Amino acid sequence: MLNGLHPLPKLVVCLVWILGSILIFDLGFQLATIGLAAGVLIVLERRSPFLVIALMVPFALFGFGFLTTSVLFRQDSGFALQMAAETPFGAPAVSAGLILFFRAIACGMVSALFVLTTDPGALIKALMVHWRLPPSVGFALFQALNLVPDLGREMQQIRLARAMRRGRPPRRVPGPAELLSLIVPLLAYAIRRAGRSALAMEARGLAPGARRTVTNAPSLTRRDGAFVIASGLVFLLTLLISV
Amino acid sequence: MTAAPPRPPDAPLAQWDGVTVRYPHARRDAVGPVSLAIRPGERMLLLGPSGSGKSTLLQTLTGTIPRTTPATVTGKVRIGAANAADRPPSAWADTVAQFFQDADQTLTGLRAADEIAFALENRGLPETVIERRVREAMARTGLPEDWRDRRTSTLSGGEKQLVALAATLVADAPVFVADEPTASLAPAVARRVYDLVLRSPGQNAVLIVDHRLDTMIGAIDRIAILDDRGALILEGAPASVFRAHGDRLDSHGIWTPLVNRFDRALGRIGLSPDEPPLTMDALARHLEGLPAEARMKARKAVAEAATSMLPRQNRTAGRTVAALHRAACAPLFGPTVLDDLSLQVRAGEVVGIVGSNGAGKSTLGASLAGLLRLKAGRRDGAPGAIAFQNPENQFLEASVRDELAASLPKAARGDRISRILARWRLEGVSRQHPYELSQGQKRRLALACLTATDRWPLLVLDEPTCGLDASGVRTVTDTICELAGDGRAIAVITHDMDFALAVCDRLVVLADGGLLAEGAPADILRDADLLARADLAPPAMLPVLDWLERVPC
Repeated sequence: MLNGLHPLPKLVVCLVWILGSILIFDLGFQLATIGLAAGVLIVLERRSPFLVIALMVPFALFGFGFLTTSVLFRQDSGFALQMAAETPFGAPAVSAGLILFFRAIACGMVSALFVLTTDPGALIKALMVHWRLPPSVGFALFQALNLVPDLGREMQQIRLARAMRRGRPPRRVPGPAELLSLIVPLLAYAIRRAGRSALAMEARGLAPGARRTVTNAPSLTRRDGAFVIASGLVFLLTLLISV
Repeated sequence: MTAAPPRPPDAPLAQWDGVTVRYPHARRDAVGPVSLAIRPGERMLLLGPSGSGKSTLLQTLTGTIPRTTPATVTGKVRIGAANAADRPPSAWADTVAQFFQDADQTLTGLRAADEIAFALENRGLPETVIERRVREAMARTGLPEDWRDRRTSTLSGGEKQLVALAATLVADAPVFVADEPTASLAPAVARRVYDLVLRSPGQNAVLIVDHRLDTMIGAIDRIAILDDRGALILEGAPASVFRAHGDRLDSHGIWTPLVNRFDRALGRIGLSPDEPPLTMDALARHLEGLPAEARMKARKAVAEAATSMLPRQNRTAGRTVAALHRAACAPLFGPTVLDDLSLQVRAGEVVGIVGSNGAGKSTLGASLAGLLRLKAGRRDGAPGAIAFQNPENQFLEASVRDELAASLPKAARGDRISRILARWRLEGVSRQHPYELSQGQKRRLALACLTATDRWPLLVLDEPTCGLDASGVRTVTDTICELAGDGRAIAVITHDMDFALAVCDRLVVLADGGLLAEGAPADILRDADLLARADLAPPAMLPVLDWLERVPC
């Protein structure tokens, strides 16, 4: 559902919400943010609850230090207390370490919501059209986005070539030693690919500073306005209820 | 101020004047000296052995060499009346549309529709115009509408080539430069592309490098030929150049059309037609029209020529080396592309795998070699090796010599490496990094590494003739026949039906996610309905083979 929205208002709403999470030092607000992001992903975007939980893992690991200090050792770290003191809104009714832990997850889930509901190509096109991102930077971003799956494919080809020399199929998941040995050839591939892409773009007329058309860039609609207003209201409501 | 005089209508659109190119640290020029001009409406074919610098020469046209790829260029390159070096390569994009040999070099990794629109966006054309021209380009090249949103990096080699072609043609530039535009395309698609590029009316000039001569030679106005050191040695109308210099070109390992080889065979007994034929059908008509006695003489000469081009001996297949039983084949982490497929490859047998672009040929090859786990079904047999469609995927070492050494057991190295280098004409580049080689040289190295050792009872060769010159294809053909003669099982994935006819004992046709047909090459390649269904085309040699069958000994 959120996929059909213009990426830029969605980006602004997500940034505002992340900023809110940073400034509002309140456990209720952080929990509400996590609940809302997870709810939108599961209910509106039909994402698997397991995927949503899995998405929280890296952010939870990030905030784990605060959690261990506050829960296991029953005291907050100096950093957490200092953060609590410096935050303009809210006060730590519960452990500051716990709030920092959930804040990491809340910010992460809002980011994940944006990433999972936004076509990266549409975002870059929107940035080029509305925020005057230079095409040379925009297409470099396109290349960087595309590099990740391409590196995956290249890695599989290299693994097949090596497996052939060994005389047995590659393991489904490469081990740490194999992964280490893939770094140099993949780096070489990335450099080679960047060179070829630059050549291809130049040969087809991409020049820095030249005026160019951007086709199929997303355009703003009333739905985007409604989305911004609705998000603003939900944000205020969450703030009122939680703080 | 006086206006510039109008350009004469036949003034060259592009011109090389005494051009030589030398790459940094190279001991000799990569190409040159070359003086060549291409005029409005002209269709020119550039031929030469692999490594002769054809791709390098094309890249000097808009200054990609030396501006982007460093090299020393002497002489003058002109586009229209202007010096090409006066503007950056991007500024020539509206005048020269370039299709590079490696489709990945033409594409930028976007969605198919964005790729096709890219050149027009850079010109700042209105969005509605771009949208219309993208739709037209997709329709002209036969790209399905549902490909618009497909990422080009997820396409098969042939599919990428088709998108790259649409992305180049959409520019509608006065000069269209194409480096092997059909190398990875299914034969029927390649014919459509030639019609599109070479037979479209208009004043656009086309400069093309390609090896499928029989399909296109009728539409070519002029050919220019480079020798193995990159110097321009011949230039002129195709029919007369091939008739007068065909033997010399053969000795240089340069492609000549099949029809020309038969024409020369007839010429040696004084029975060639007055006008050099450009198609096999024209040759067959000439043969039909000969008096009875002359026809018998011609039959003998034509049969000898055909036999030399079809070296396949009557091999006897031995035990089964690898077999797939009701297999569901899928690329690594990809969806199933072939289902319920059963296939056996036996010792001493060459099996050809043919089909349209994206039919799953490479996936079947890797599954047959045991490198991909099956989603369902079973594979029996020893592991095999595969020569990848993109030869770069196979290279893991820092030099050509090291790559070969890694393919051989330590005890067997010694002089063997030098012999292999000589056989595959790689002596001069043995110290170079594999990635620095030309496409043809990369292909030869990949095949040399794979065939150097007898550790694999099954070899899968994915498009082994792609990008090779005539001499390279002869070496591949001889090597396949030798290996099969030694009892090795070989599977060849190819779009070259004449090559398939020459080397394969059996053909497997893939379409619609499975096995469409299997049988003797001569039977499969005469079945017009089957060929049409699988985007294939009959081999160029077929009319002459049919004539040989019709005329009794």
